[in-house]
Amino acid sequence: MKIKNIITVFLLALILGVFCIFAILKPQTRFSDSERRYLEKFPELSIKTVLSGEFMKEFEGYTLDQFPLRDIFRGIKAFSEQNIFLKKDNNKVFKAKGHLSKIEYPLNENMIDNAVDKFNKINDKFLDVSDNIYFSLIPDKNYFLATDSGYLHIDYNQMSEYMKNKLPYMEHIDLKENLSIEDYYYTDTHWKQENLIDVARIFADKLNIEIPSHYTENQLTEPFYGVYCGQYALPVRSDTITYLTNDIINEFKVTNINDLGKPEEGVVYDLTKAKSKDPYEIFLSGAKAVQIIENPTVANDRELIVFRDSFGASLLPLIAQGYSKTTLIDIRYVYSDAIGYFVNFKDADVLFLYSSIVLNNSSSFR
Amino acid sequence: MLFSSIPFLYYFLPIVLLLYFITPKALKNTLLMLASFLFYAWGEPRYVLIMFIAVIASYILGLLTENENHSGRRKLWLTLSLLVGFGMLCYFKYVDFFITNFNAITGLSIPLLEIALPIGISFYTFQLTSYNIDVYRGDTKAQRNFINLAAYISFFPQLIAGPIVRYTDIETQLKYRTHSFEKAAYGIRRFIIGLSKKILIANALGELCDIFKSSNDKSILFFWLYAIAFTLHIYFDFSGYSDMAIGLGSIFGFKFMENFNYPYISRSITEFWRRWHISLGSWFRDYVYIPLGGNRVNNIKFIRNIFVVWMFTGFWHGAAWNFIIWGLYFAVLLLLEKFVLKKFLDKHRIVSHIYVLFLVMISFVLFNAADIKEALVYVGGLFGYGAHTFVSAEFYYYLRSYAIVIFVAIIGSTPLPKKLISRITAAEHVEPIFLAILLIMCTAYLIDGSFNPFLYFRF
Repeated sequence: MKIKNIITVFLLALILGVFCIFAILKPQTRFSDSERRYLEKFPELSIKTVLSGEFMKEFEGYTLDQFPLRDIFRGIKAFSEQNIFLKKDNNKVFKAKGHLSKIEYPLNENMIDNAVDKFNKINDKFLDVSDNIYFSLIPDKNYFLATDSGYLHIDYNQMSEYMKNKLPYMEHIDLKENLSIEDYYYTDTHWKQENLIDVARIFADKLNIEIPSHYTENQLTEPFYGVYCGQYALPVRSDTITYLTNDIINEFKVTNINDLGKPEEGVVYDLTKAKSKDPYEIFLSGAKAVQIIENPTVANDRELIVFRDSFGASLLPLIAQGYSKTTLIDIRYVYSDAIGYFVNFKDADVLFLYSSIVLNNSSSFR
Repeated sequence: MLFSSIPFLYYFLPIVLLLYFITPKALKNTLLMLASFLFYAWGEPRYVLIMFIAVIASYILGLLTENENHSGRRKLWLTLSLLVGFGMLCYFKYVDFFITNFNAITGLSIPLLEIALPIGISFYTFQLTSYNIDVYRGDTKAQRNFINLAAYISFFPQLIAGPIVRYTDIETQLKYRTHSFEKAAYGIRRFIIGLSKKILIANALGELCDIFKSSNDKSILFFWLYAIAFTLHIYFDFSGYSDMAIGLGSIFGFKFMENFNYPYISRSITEFWRRWHISLGSWFRDYVYIPLGGNRVNNIKFIRNIFVVWMFTGFWHGAAWNFIIWGLYFAVLLLLEKFVLKKFLDKHRIVSHIYVLFLVMISFVLFNAADIKEALVYVGGLFGYGAHTFVSAEFYYYLRSYAIVIFVAIIGSTPLPKKLISRITAAEHVEPIFLAILLIMCTAYLIDGSFNPFLYFRF
């Protein structure tokens, strides 16, 4: 009897046995910090769920989510994909020029048309031809990252042209010349507020408002691991979140409209979010359907209404300095038909500010 | 339940192995039968009863056939057993195909039954019918112990995707089989190699095929990349499953026939089919081709026999015309080789390899199409039909991203790695560590992956 055979049997039996016992006895984990999602729980066991096959299907998901040392195994897979099979991406997430990013491809005309359709309906229902209506497409970081690194990416210029053709009544504000990859976090999809002063100035010029050039930079002490960290599954360097303040921003009064349509007091920088799953949410407290920023320091009566996604949360406090009132609307969280209850469009400037990623996945627009 | 799944690897398998080895010898087959029914019920809770009824019918009809001396009644029992087996197969797998074609010919609108296909039905019905035919022919005794017959049919390692194990091959093993570290280690080795072929290679290539299919940027070179990827994918997927089945069988003390023998090193299509899905080929040879007269008939009948066997082989793979055409495509090639090409292929070594790979690749593009229309589009795409560009950004990207997987798969479909690994692992401790690393890697891919279907489950 070869010793090799005995070692083979015992070693493999040990691996199967140990993980079997470990998997059965391990307490359930509720939330995955690295993946920013709730994990599958043990499914309901009944005759009905067994006979329908529902239990078995959900049990498979449960075993995958609750497997012992799950994050280490995900790291092993990512390492193997990157270093053994030399795959360009792992679950579409890749690292290039020190940045993590995710492949967003191809350009999805159906989704873009869906967004255009929503914008047109808003225009038809609430806006007048005399209103100042602006549109700005925020390039996702792949525009700066993927071309040189050989990754598939959405053609930002093509999307931008498409939007210009589909929304001819809006004035289009081009941002790409004033942005570079350095303006985005290494580990996250979003841009850095401290690098957006020039971008804010472009808007100020177009919207004909005055905004200051001087800010105080404040840094969060907690390291920021962005949305791609967990998906990448390998160790990466952290980012730092910096937020800008000055005498005007410090005077802002923020009101969030809650799910019941009731106003609640908000803040520009919600520092309680610094230790949350997504510290980028310090900017205007993260996802909110409707928010109002009132600026008591400005003498004019001008109002800005912005339809926006999460990119707007870090940029808009800078632009809001030029208006007495800025209303932020995220139609992923509020029905666009219902916004008339919260917003008066009369004499307001209207800005549609969206990233190319969100427009390319606009199915959540309501 | 999939072999390449966490519930199988880390729940079902360790528990069944533990119970199996502590169970007394007399009850081992009972345990295997119960475990196998659980294994099947996990994926098909409603259809486990169908399989159970089929086994009972086969068992009773086998006994009736053996105990009957009157040749007419023996034929009757055999016919009944074939009706049960093939009737089930026809009902679950082919009835909608027949209705669709009947509607097309007559202009009627008979509604389709839309019955879900019980997984593995093509495999276990072939095992059942071969058992009853063998009993009828007197090649084997009918199994008097129901547990043993049920354990043979339902034995989970080969239940849902083969190899198609003949009863005559494991009749003795059902009663008398031995267990040893050598057999267990061999089984573990085969199982983990098969698991790795499936998870590390086949799944990656399958992903690439899916990416191609959903792409709006198909270029001629992307069609070729897809054809190469799918040709490798189907081999690693199916041979990986067979390796796992053979390995598991060995751990439980059984010896199954080999199902693949490096088919892509063949120098003719005839040789390819001696190396590809061997258990299916030998089933059709023994139960269809030879009863029709095989090659010991005149040329006209020989040609008929080849066409009949290959039409059924194609049809066995799926209830669609592209599978029938796929089978007939091989019939034509086999006849061409027999009457025209054999000498040429024998003389030209490199040309014969290219010839086989090219024709097999085309066949699998045909095979993987959803229907005839898609098959024509995909085969046409390879040769520039359909206004496709020659090259595209997606082709470049995915070629670069999957180059290593494709390279490993090409090398892995030859005997080279086996020789290499046996040299590397000649040292006592290297092989177990190598296998452990592979198992850990496979586990990691399962935990983080989403692409994991087995192609042959649909057959």
